[in-house]
Amino acid sequence: MSADDVAVRVDTEVCIAGGQCELLAPDIFEIDDDEVVAVVRGDGRLPRNVALEVIDRCPSGAISIVGGSDHIPASGP
Amino acid sequence: MHADQTTARPDAPNVTDDALYLDGIPHDRFAEMRAAPGLLWHPYRDGGFWAVARHAEVRQVSRSPEVFSSAIGHTNLWDLEADALEARRGLIDTDAPDHTRIRRLVASGFTPKNIKTWGTTVRELTAELLDEAVAVGTSDWVDSLAAPLPIRVILALLGVPVDDADHLVALSNHLVEGTSEQQTLAPDAFGNTTELRLLPFNSPASHALFEYGEALAARKRLEPADDIVTTLVQAEADGERLSGAEFRNLFHLLVFAGNETTRTALTHGAMALADHPEQWQRVLDGEVSVEQATEEILRWATPVLHMRRTTAVDTELAGTRIGAGEKVVVWYASANRDETVFEDPYRFDVGRDDNPHFAFGGGGPHFCLGAFLARLEIQVVLEEMRARGLRLRRVGDPVRVPSNFVHGVLSLDLEVVS
Repeated sequence: MSADDVAVRVDTEVCIAGGQCELLAPDIFEIDDDEVVAVVRGDGRLPRNVALEVIDRCPSGAISIVGGSDHIPASGP
Repeated sequence: MHADQTTARPDAPNVTDDALYLDGIPHDRFAEMRAAPGLLWHPYRDGGFWAVARHAEVRQVSRSPEVFSSAIGHTNLWDLEADALEARRGLIDTDAPDHTRIRRLVASGFTPKNIKTWGTTVRELTAELLDEAVAVGTSDWVDSLAAPLPIRVILALLGVPVDDADHLVALSNHLVEGTSEQQTLAPDAFGNTTELRLLPFNSPASHALFEYGEALAARKRLEPADDIVTTLVQAEADGERLSGAEFRNLFHLLVFAGNETTRTALTHGAMALADHPEQWQRVLDGEVSVEQATEEILRWATPVLHMRRTTAVDTELAGTRIGAGEKVVVWYASANRDETVFEDPYRFDVGRDDNPHFAFGGGGPHFCLGAFLARLEIQVVLEEMRARGLRLRRVGDPVRVPSNFVHGVLSLDLEVVS
């Protein structure tokens, strides 16, 4: 864990269980087979650059950084 | 410059003529579209659409479903009358909340964990088909591996008996014809009495798939099993979450998408590996992982070339004003060769580090449901080829499907060398 770690959360209303997060960061994300949404394991902390990559690749835009400026728009520039 | 040339926006080069695709994707025309400022208008039949060719804007459209709707109008280029649109409405042609409800229901079968449990089945099938192809030496790769593998896997997931596989493959093949102007089936084929305009792909084969799906659902209600059709009919019984039409259309989509798209990826992948033996060598040598090579095969293949959206509100994209109710078509075929995202985009490079391809769509709620299944199948084929030290050699040219919608290949003769 480093100072540059951030915590992430998943908006389960928006998540479509695309599974890209589990592919990129399997230690932090898991698609829950019962609820069919992504869930965050443990405290959900991961390096900022990994978090940004996961947020970027998440198809539904369901992932954001906790305490981030509201939420990081997933739709890019 | 002439005054009216500075004010009139030039039309996009034609990329919808099906015949163009007999020689492959018209990449030069898409490059021209990407280089143009703003968006280009593409005339089509009585109207036209805004052609979205750049990676960034394909992404933006795909991820803004509240602006670029899948439920208004149709997700194919042409328009449908209101009753036809309703009759065909399924997972692809819906927006939230209907889409979310149907998607969640079926997505449980396609989660990474669930797909992993199919690894052994995929590997056994692959081994069987590859060993046969090696024994034969030269064969049509589509027939010997690319078609049978994905269809057998998706049918196993759905809970369709093995003996019915050939029938369903034939039906799925007819559907592709329905996306081009070349229908070969009579309107009353398979006992169809429904007007073709009410059927997906305008194809009587859709009627046959509906009938098959309904009979299978009836059987699964009596004899539930660990498969996706059982999940769908049980959910239906639990809380009436899936209507009869929704089930029919979903079954139809799963058979078609599970058959056609991965077949296309496996065929273009094999062709690329045969044409670029030095790239396959990198996989054989372990320099590049099969996972990494799979992503490049997906980018290279782009099995689905485009999807259409329709604007729900007035909006602006790439500096172009778009009114509500206009057609916007996102071209994955173009985004996957965007030179601002992919270095040397026309080069097949299995070792690409960053490969944010849109083979599964541009993101958003309609992101390919079967992405992990497709990846698993391609990865296992590469692994089994590597384990046997196999190489592929081109024997002839591919026979392509004349379609602006799917990047299909009808046949590709290859020699499988051990």
